[in-house]
Amino acid sequence: MSRLSTSFAILLSTPVILAAGGRAEEPGAGQPLPGRDHWAFKPVSDPALPNVKDPGWIQSPIDRFVLVELERRGLQPTRPAPRRRLIRRATLDLIGLPPTPEEVDAFLADRYPDAFAKVVDRLLASPHYGERWGRHWLDVVRYADTAGDSSDFPVPQLYRYRNYVIDSLNRDKPYDVFIQEQIAGDLMPAKDGAQKYERIVATGYIALSRRFGSSTIDYPQHLTIEDTIDNLGRSVLALNIHCARCHDHKFDPVSSEDYYGLYGIFQSTRYPFPGIETLKVQRDLVPLVPEGEFEALMKPYQEELGVLEAERKRLTSIMKAAKEKIREGEKVLAANDIDDDQRRKVELEVSEAYRQRAELFPKWIEAGKRFSETAQKKKPEFEAAYAVADAEPAHARVHVKGDPKELGQEVPRRFLGILGGQKVPEGCKTSGRRELSQWLTDPQNPLTGRVMVNRIWHYHFGKGIVETPNNFGNQGRRPTHPRLLDYLARSFIRSGWSMKAMHRLIMLSATYQLDSRGRIQNATSDPNNDFVWKFNRQRLVAEAVRDSILAISGTLDRRILTTPHPFPDPKAWDFTQHKPFRATYHSRGRTIYLMTQRQTKHPFLAVFDGQDTTSSTGRRSSTTTPIQALFMMNDPFVHEQAANFAARLVAERSTDSSRVERAHQLGLGRPPTPAEKTAGEAYLAKVRDKFAALNLPTQEHEKLAWESYARVVLRMNEFMYVE
Amino acid sequence: MKRIEPGFETTSDATFGITRRHLLHSMVAGSIVLPGILQELVASENHQPAGGPLTPKAPHFPAKAKHVIFLYMSGGVSHVDSFDPKPELNKRHGENNLLGSLWNIRRWGKSGIPATDLFPHISSVIDDICLIRSMKSDHLNHVESTLGIHTGSVSLPRPSIGSWVSYGLGTLNQNLPSFVVIAPKLPYAGTQVFSNDFLPAYHQGVRVRPGPKPIPNLSRRSTLAELQEMELGLAATFNKRHLDQCEADSNLAARIQSFETAFAMQQEAPEVFDVSKESDATLSLYGLERGQTEGFGWQCIVARRLVERGVRFIELVDSGASNNWDHHSNMSLHGPMAKNVDQPIAGLIKDLKQRGMFEDTLVVWTSEFGRTPQKESKTGRGHLPDAFCSWLAGAGVKRGFVYGATDEIGLNITEDECHVHDFHATILHLMGLDHERLTYRHAGQDFRLTDVHGRVVKDILV
Repeated sequence: MSRLSTSFAILLSTPVILAAGGRAEEPGAGQPLPGRDHWAFKPVSDPALPNVKDPGWIQSPIDRFVLVELERRGLQPTRPAPRRRLIRRATLDLIGLPPTPEEVDAFLADRYPDAFAKVVDRLLASPHYGERWGRHWLDVVRYADTAGDSSDFPVPQLYRYRNYVIDSLNRDKPYDVFIQEQIAGDLMPAKDGAQKYERIVATGYIALSRRFGSSTIDYPQHLTIEDTIDNLGRSVLALNIHCARCHDHKFDPVSSEDYYGLYGIFQSTRYPFPGIETLKVQRDLVPLVPEGEFEALMKPYQEELGVLEAERKRLTSIMKAAKEKIREGEKVLAANDIDDDQRRKVELEVSEAYRQRAELFPKWIEAGKRFSETAQKKKPEFEAAYAVADAEPAHARVHVKGDPKELGQEVPRRFLGILGGQKVPEGCKTSGRRELSQWLTDPQNPLTGRVMVNRIWHYHFGKGIVETPNNFGNQGRRPTHPRLLDYLARSFIRSGWSMKAMHRLIMLSATYQLDSRGRIQNATSDPNNDFVWKFNRQRLVAEAVRDSILAISGTLDRRILTTPHPFPDPKAWDFTQHKPFRATYHSRGRTIYLMTQRQTKHPFLAVFDGQDTTSSTGRRSSTTTPIQALFMMNDPFVHEQAANFAARLVAERSTDSSRVERAHQLGLGRPPTPAEKTAGEAYLAKVRDKFAALNLPTQEHEKLAWESYARVVLRMNEFMYVE
Repeated sequence: MKRIEPGFETTSDATFGITRRHLLHSMVAGSIVLPGILQELVASENHQPAGGPLTPKAPHFPAKAKHVIFLYMSGGVSHVDSFDPKPELNKRHGENNLLGSLWNIRRWGKSGIPATDLFPHISSVIDDICLIRSMKSDHLNHVESTLGIHTGSVSLPRPSIGSWVSYGLGTLNQNLPSFVVIAPKLPYAGTQVFSNDFLPAYHQGVRVRPGPKPIPNLSRRSTLAELQEMELGLAATFNKRHLDQCEADSNLAARIQSFETAFAMQQEAPEVFDVSKESDATLSLYGLERGQTEGFGWQCIVARRLVERGVRFIELVDSGASNNWDHHSNMSLHGPMAKNVDQPIAGLIKDLKQRGMFEDTLVVWTSEFGRTPQKESKTGRGHLPDAFCSWLAGAGVKRGFVYGATDEIGLNITEDECHVHDFHATILHLMGLDHERLTYRHAGQDFRLTDVHGRVVKDILV
């Protein structure tokens, strides 16, 4: 396999071909784009339900597609998961928290055939559902609470977008509308004020694109737009588009024209300014207050700034003119073909210009400082969304070889050629985001539906039908079950793009309910479980680790966080590239509400393979390291929560035996086996002896012994894995 | 070596009436697949009662190197601006888009090997280096080529070379991980670069970040030292029982092992990362200020300390997936990147030599690919997988030696191609491993680091 790509790479890296290929200076002039007949660009098929040899196993149409592949390979699915394991799996899967012992008991006691369907419905109705699945979406859109520039400025308003995502998922907003709102919510009609604001907040998706640099001079907006296009490609289409910034894509049918067709749309969009080292104030946020009110609020501020700005500009132009004079003069002097008189005259002019610059310099600096300080310190406070708005619509010109200062030919705003190449209508008065959002969610688009159902499958099973959820292109993996993928995509669109309907469809299948154990002989031919003969045992993701620990210890703050993070006062922001914003805020809330920075990982999330906050995370890695073990052994968080867990056990049960029982039920979703119980009780006795030898008061022994036992439970593999 | 004893063996004996060895043997008997990990567990039980799955194993043949320090420069170092200088390219600057180098060329050391002055310190120890000027990778993109140089595979996820070495040889100190990665940031492809993939999970690279606390939570927080040991013992007992019911899932076994390693690391690791007892002379060799806990110099000196303590494979990453060597528009930015690593690397070589460690430690220096002689954008260079430089130094390789050559502008290899697979085969050979025999059975197939390729580059061996 590597040899094949070698020859391809040789072909591509040969300079002759590179020079002849569609370089950005002459879009479309190169060779035909590669990979047009790739599976992912073909229309979504309407596959017939396959016939299987063992129809008795089938509980859902999904099972037919899975079983037919297993049968073809002589594999048999393993047994169904025991009920305790199933409810723990489903609960962690849908709400990211372990089931309570009471929920487990209720499920075990429910002997009706729809008992599991009721569990699924209950979980889908839980407000915690949006916190779990919203987190998945935030991974994909590389959400962070800071801007990503060299000083990593905080963006206090972004929590509104995070909550918009959670809320949209809880309400089962159709996925097409969800996408449309995030790209063009501000341009969509709204039935009332609340919906208007909601849709503005939704465009936080575009607004949160990464910022770069540390100065407003030569502000690298083109990199921010590249980040937008890159993420849009990966998140909605699972395509790598941004490569085409500098050259036609090497592996996928995406050209430079495609890139700059999209670029024009975002260049016609006003992004909010989060502040930067040289101007530490937010600008161009979208106010969430009535229009007249906002303007009245801003008027005096803008007038004052206008005066300062005019003065700064006046000085800047004098400085620039003097600089130009010096440059010109020095060129003349260097030329050597002038007579002495002329030389003297020019020398005088140059030295006068130098003098002028030296004299003006402190004033110019002062004017700049006064402007930026006034802008920061006097800014009126108002409710706002970190969201986008339309700017002057215009087509983009190609950046030759990706250099924004070297502009090539103009490219009309349009969609990717491979997906239809629709153009923003002639004379369109808006950016074209609304049109783009409709092209993306057109049911005929072969990617959008497939990509999303694959994500949903990926999160349910720990592995997608396409194993690379962010890359459906030629460099990604091919689907293991192409017909199933198409079946799901069609069902998804037919259901009105309902994610909750998709969860039901998947979770009520025999496939989802398979055990994670047994049938080990299948591993000889399918060790990676590509064909889903069992459920994949998975390590809990970082959020589920922390949230489960808090939930078990009884200290989880279950409220939806509706206030901004406790960032420093914007009027006092003093961040620079050398002293960037860095903070971690203590919280007992769910992990999705922890403040996450673009540039630095939250320490807990770093240890447990948290999301990448600089680019889209389609799948989390899942490592097992001694660093994680050390966290479970020594981190104050674990010790604190183990103490709470212990206090809960002591309060809720009165004997060793019943407390051990409760501990295992809370932590693992099952009672201890007799052998475990014996071991647990013997352990407690031993620990008490140790403490007794230290002459600690008996009450203290009790507390310490149970804290110790609580830590043991939290370190069990069964706690850390979902099966 | 202190290990978790109480509760571990005794509780399992007393409680379940079986010993760990019985348990493992019954697992092997009842299991058709996943024999790799079980056999490792059993082997360690049989041959070395106090050992674990990382117990040292005999190489295929006597090894020259016991340790590897793998220095990885992320983003693509330009070979024509460093160790493969091209006077002809400078002469033809401007012609056909060719871009001359900003650095001066001179001959270095007794061997008189020409190199630019981009890395003056490294070049000053060129007589200790075995330079390969004919490296070849398989892919034009960063992610793929980064995976290639680490795993031999540019497309599918595969185990990292460090994981292969750990699997093949185990490690000499059970109190530390066998494969340690010191990286301020993650390179392209993230943790996949140090991943064990299908190899048992305890062979994965453990990443450490430079800083005052490179490994968080190293100090014990229990009221009683003994209590922690007892807790871990009970958890291990429960976890092993669970493992027995889970067809010996390698991830679960690795997590059990990770607590044992973590327990030992509490003792050993703080001292490894604390360089305060190093002499001023040693610190200055690496360009380190006293008290400094960051920077490539710190990474290098810690690498030496890890080698001293028996760690098998250490990888140092100089930068990450951005702000690295990927200079498409301005080659002068290679200057500060080189300055960051130059003196530390030369210091490492000198230090290994003066301590007599150069004889059994292999230092590897590489990037994922080279850069084009043609310019990109204004004064930058593009990616070039067809020809680039890497070097080896220390155990078992020739010194002051150059292998392979490229054409007069450094675009193509003209002599003795050394493909990444050959590079890997040679490193394994130096470790006493035959790259064709170091296999792991997975999905009904025997996998190798070198796939079906690779040849040992005998010319560079001593």
